[in-house]
Amino acid sequence: MAKVELMGVTKRFGAHEVCANISLAIVDGEFVTLLGPPGCGKTTTLNMIAGLEDVTSGEIRMDGKIVNDLTPFERDVAMVFQNYALYPHMTVAENIGFTLRLRHMPRAEIAKRVEAIAEVLELTPSLGRLPFQLSGGQQQRVAIGRAMVREPKTFLFDEPFSNLDAALRVRMRSEIKLLHRRLGVTSIFVTHDQEEALSISDRVAVMNRGRVEQFGTPEEIYVRPVSRYVARFIGSPQIDLQEGEAVIAEHGSGFRVGGALFSLPRATAEILGHLGPLELGIRPEHVVLSERGVDAIVEIVQPVGPASFVALRWPGGLLTARAPGMSRLKAGEAVHFFVEPEQMMFFDKASGRRVLASPSRPEG
Amino acid sequence: MARRRRQQFANWAIGFSLALFTVWTLAPILWLVVSSLMEQQALTATPPDFSAGSFTLQNYAEVMTAAAALGHGLLNSLIVAVATTAVALAVGAPAAYALARLQLPGAGLILLLILATQMFPGIVVAIPLFIVMSRVGLIDSRLGLIVVYLSFNLPIVIWILRGFFLGIPTGLERAASVDGASIFQTFRLIVLPISWPPIFATAIFAFIESWNEFFFALILTRQNAQTVPLVISQFAGQYQTVFGQMMAAAAMAVAPVVFLAVIFRRSIMQGFSEGMIKG
Repeated sequence: MAKVELMGVTKRFGAHEVCANISLAIVDGEFVTLLGPPGCGKTTTLNMIAGLEDVTSGEIRMDGKIVNDLTPFERDVAMVFQNYALYPHMTVAENIGFTLRLRHMPRAEIAKRVEAIAEVLELTPSLGRLPFQLSGGQQQRVAIGRAMVREPKTFLFDEPFSNLDAALRVRMRSEIKLLHRRLGVTSIFVTHDQEEALSISDRVAVMNRGRVEQFGTPEEIYVRPVSRYVARFIGSPQIDLQEGEAVIAEHGSGFRVGGALFSLPRATAEILGHLGPLELGIRPEHVVLSERGVDAIVEIVQPVGPASFVALRWPGGLLTARAPGMSRLKAGEAVHFFVEPEQMMFFDKASGRRVLASPSRPEG
Repeated sequence: MARRRRQQFANWAIGFSLALFTVWTLAPILWLVVSSLMEQQALTATPPDFSAGSFTLQNYAEVMTAAAALGHGLLNSLIVAVATTAVALAVGAPAAYALARLQLPGAGLILLLILATQMFPGIVVAIPLFIVMSRVGLIDSRLGLIVVYLSFNLPIVIWILRGFFLGIPTGLERAASVDGASIFQTFRLIVLPISWPPIFATAIFAFIESWNEFFFALILTRQNAQTVPLVISQFAGQYQTVFGQMMAAAAMAVAPVVFLAVIFRRSIMQGFSEGMIKG
């Protein structure tokens, strides 16, 4: 197990800055995910932690020791690659045992360790097979086995589930989480799948154009995103963003979007009124369909089982609401909705930063 | 309908062109085999006499018994070609890997220089080469030939294999590095075992190049180290050319190469297409 710290880590390829001044402190035994769209620098960051990519400037420390110039092996990291990178000419047993073979461990000892790992990962019947004879899920487990057999201080995962089908992906999430709980090894996971990140991580670093936009627990980044970027990236369906302005009146202060007014305490509206152009962010599950509130017309209803996503046309445009269960609403029906003031998120239109991060009541 | 007919016509045209090309390529070889089986008189008659009586295995028998030189030439060719191929691969494969993967300063220049050696026609270097070889006492020796053949096989081996190594996904080597393998271990335990098709194809290529080489062998050998192509050429004397025997000898010289190519055609195709496309 290891404490992993990145201090002002920057990576440039020529003039192109891929990672800019990344600082993260990962606690011993923690499961951290680097989350972001393709090209945001998350894999490069992981490769720098692994020692597969040089650091242009900044420091990477493991257990307090600077490891910038150490090889991956010396850093005692093990990595699971996106396309597994199994050695195609070696059997499953040889793949898992390769790292031990390089350390001149006696054959009997290697066989013993490999068998133990295979047992845990349910690979025992496949030990004599070659990678191409395995299913995607099995290959994935071999890759994990190869990482586990060394008993490393840190596990690194580079989008390990991206080649698996949806059902298997969800199953592997719980397997990885179980594995982490059992071994307690510091793990750093890279993905572009926000749901995956939220479901397996202790903390998530949301990355954007080579920078860490927000580093926090899944709850923090979901409930208290620091910026429009994070708010949009996390949550499915996406948060709806509408431009509008604060309205302060004797009766009925609030935030006006199009012709509709969302009620807010006067004090909140006054603070918002002093800020520049704003956008209102509303998550689908915070839209309450009711007898009162803003007028809207049901555009489409998408039942997904435990809930239904209802697209509403209203003066501000289109908005998605999450209704519980299989909704009976029909397209064209007239409805009303409102949003509790503490559920509204406001973003500065120009900078995208969240404003008024904690209004009158705690959110959530 | 019209499109289908056009497609059919295109297929037919491609097929016909390929057939024509095949005939064009194989005709000399066919002629070689046919004439090696004919008596001198029948062969040199105008037009040649293709009646059943003209065919004989006599040429082969005579070449085998009379010309001990051919056996010696075959042995020389075999030693030179095998040694050239072995050394070219032993040196060329690691060099190609280094040029493909290690971020060597000046790698581009090195590659360019390697390629530049291929730009001179043989005749340009023949005389200086002869002088150098005679000074170091390597005229008419197999070692001399091997050294010279390496000079034009090695660059080709490096270029072909580098193209292939570039095409191997880096993931495997990264995985090996994380597993604790040094660059040599990665090359030996991971890269080499998965690269045998292109290496094999390159080996066949180098072997054929050396086996068939005539020009330098002519300049740099006399009796001792004569290779097969030279032995064959000597059937063409000043006053008389023994066509039948010459062709029989040539057929025997070509046979190993043709067999290699036919038996391993799949590996050769696979090896080269991988090297070319991915590189």
